[in-house]
Amino acid sequence: MITVKQLSKVYGKGEGLFTALQNIDFTIPTGSTVAIIGKSGSGKSTLMHIISGLDHPTAGQVLIDSTDLYAMRPREIDEFRATQMSFIFQAFFVEANQTAFQNVALPLEISGVALRERKKLVAEALDAVGLLDKSMVLAGNLSGGQKQRLAVARAIVNKPTILFADEPTGNLDSATGESIMALLFELNRTLGCTLVLVTHDNDLARRCQQQITIKDGQVSSIKSTSDRRAK
Amino acid sequence: MRYQDLLRRSVRNLLSAKARTLLTAGAIAVGTFALTLTLGASNGARSYVNKIINSNFDPTELVVTKDTRAFGNGDNSTPPEYDGSFGSTLVPGGLETQIKRLSDDDLTKLKAIPGVQEVRIANSVSVQYITAPGQRKYVATVVPFSPAQKPDLLAGSVTQLNENAVLLPEGFLKVLGFDTAAAAVGKKVTIAVQKQVDQTGIVSALTQGGAPNAIADAQMRPSMHKDYTIAAVAKKPTAIISASEFIVYAQPKTAQALRDYKTTGSSDYHRYLAVNAKIRNGGDKATLTLVQKRIKALGYGAQSVEDTQKFLTQIVSVLQGIVTAFGFIAIVASLFGIINTMYISVLQRTREIGLMKALGMHKKDITKLFRIEAALIGLLGGLIGAVSAVLFGTALNPTIAQKLNLGDQRLLEFQLGQIVILIGVLVLVATLAGLFPARKASQLDPIQALRTE
Ligand SMILES: Nc1ncnc2c1ncn2[C@@H]1O[C@H](COP(=O)(O)OP(=O)(O)O)[C@@H](O)[C@H]1O
Ligand SMILES: [Mg+2]
Repeated sequence: MITVKQLSKVYGKGEGLFTALQNIDFTIPTGSTVAIIGKSGSGKSTLMHIISGLDHPTAGQVLIDSTDLYAMRPREIDEFRATQMSFIFQAFFVEANQTAFQNVALPLEISGVALRERKKLVAEALDAVGLLDKSMVLAGNLSGGQKQRLAVARAIVNKPTILFADEPTGNLDSATGESIMALLFELNRTLGCTLVLVTHDNDLARRCQQQITIKDGQVSSIKSTSDRRAK
Repeated sequence: MRYQDLLRRSVRNLLSAKARTLLTAGAIAVGTFALTLTLGASNGARSYVNKIINSNFDPTELVVTKDTRAFGNGDNSTPPEYDGSFGSTLVPGGLETQIKRLSDDDLTKLKAIPGVQEVRIANSVSVQYITAPGQRKYVATVVPFSPAQKPDLLAGSVTQLNENAVLLPEGFLKVLGFDTAAAAVGKKVTIAVQKQVDQTGIVSALTQGGAPNAIADAQMRPSMHKDYTIAAVAKKPTAIISASEFIVYAQPKTAQALRDYKTTGSSDYHRYLAVNAKIRNGGDKATLTLVQKRIKALGYGAQSVEDTQKFLTQIVSVLQGIVTAFGFIAIVASLFGIINTMYISVLQRTREIGLMKALGMHKKDITKLFRIEAALIGLLGGLIGAVSAVLFGTALNPTIAQKLNLGDQRLLEFQLGQIVILIGVLVLVATLAGLFPARKASQLDPIQALRTE
């Protein structure tokens, strides 16, 4: 379970002071799907960065199960992110001059998984996103949809407990986007990982079990869709 | 992150920008090239000096002079006072004839010094000429042979060098009518030495005999001709005394007989600029120094082989220092190249670094990644520079040796150990240079790095 308590984030100081997030409170149950929605500039990405330990809050707490994320040392946060969390970005961020295999292997290299084990896990992840046959292809030669699939494979290869996706379909056409979303929901069910989806697409958000709407850095509403609809 | 993964990533990064990597390494290679050649040249020069010293000098001996100015380290602040009691040849006065020389009394005194085992006269004797039956006459210098000397022999043996024998350098072979070194061994040569006459000689002749006869005698200057057997033939000696003189080695007694004939009646008779004092247990440095002090305390000049060696290698060291400095400047300059290249690399890979940090890669691992890259550039540059210097030097050695008349001696001597240390230092320094860009990379904010638009 992710618990966010009285979270605030202020950028800059003096005249340029800007409050990006203010007194945010919510909880996300383990294994559930949640959408963080809001207009562009409302603070969705900032919130996601803070929940995932990439950024630092100005005030407030983030608890993952019972661990206080920001009570940990930077090295421990790194460790935590490397083993428990994963990211999918709007702009894919796959390395064009590396093969699909090398791209997916990165998180395993970071957490120091042995080569043989790595090969097995990468193959599983590539298989899960339907790219097993592209293993030795340079990422730069893949289509947009394939690149995002590759990013998904990279995100699930270390078997994370939380998967963050920041506008994962933003750079894709609707059909390709839909297939990526279907893949993400399926992985949520099969792997049991919590899915935190940042989006400004209300239709997409409704397919999650919980919708947290952010407006000008504050939570404006939290809604739950019935479990039946989500499935 | 595991080391092999970091290494693999670094190599991949360097390969993805081959031209840039090679150019940066190239700058280091230039400095390494200069340094490797310098090291090689100074090794060569040192071993050349050592070779000369070892084949000409006995390290357990001290060279002793009457005049402490002889080694250039006496009191040089005032000019020496003129002393009419000694002088040589027919040239009166001048510093050359005013150098104090050792007499038989001095030799006796030296022998009495505790620790002095033996006093040897090593001075060369310029003879009138050397010749063989039916051949022309040639200029030569006879040098007393010491068992410590190890000439490179082409034929014959030093054991055959008795009082009626000589050791001939190969330069005399052809001109004296011998086809090979082996053919010369056992054959005879004739050495002529002419009486030397100086003012003292003329004066004593005048007082002893009739005036006209004495002067005529003095001008006629009788010579002595004697035959010697060739005991052995040496390779062109690596001698430093004079390039134009050919040295013939003979037993000290033989040389002394020639000298005595030459100088009897002159002021040079039994007067020596320098003699060699063999020190008991002179191989032990402390003993040698102690006896050297004792000799100096009696007012003599005394120099060890090591002193001579130091003096010769000092010149080598100065030259070496200059080139080394240039090499280091080149390497320091190329370090800025590494820093620059790595900064560009960090900028180009901002996204990748951001992603790696977002995925939980430690700052330390990111630093390592870039430090390894810098180290690899240093290694590459060092290898290119050192290998090309060795190839270049090895290819040129025979030509240089021939031009400089070094014989077997190679000008450039490369030592693997030195080169390995040099490259090791380069890798270390390159790693240090990589520290700045590596720090920058590790401090990148992943959120900034991953920001789109
Ligand atoms: N480093 C920063 N310094 C100042 N303002 C920032 C910084 N990062 C984000 N912001 C501001 O915070 C607000 C929220 O940004 P963001 O979380 O990216 O919005 P969203 O993802 O909802 O589009 C924006 O107005 C943005 O300009
Ligand atoms: Mg955003």
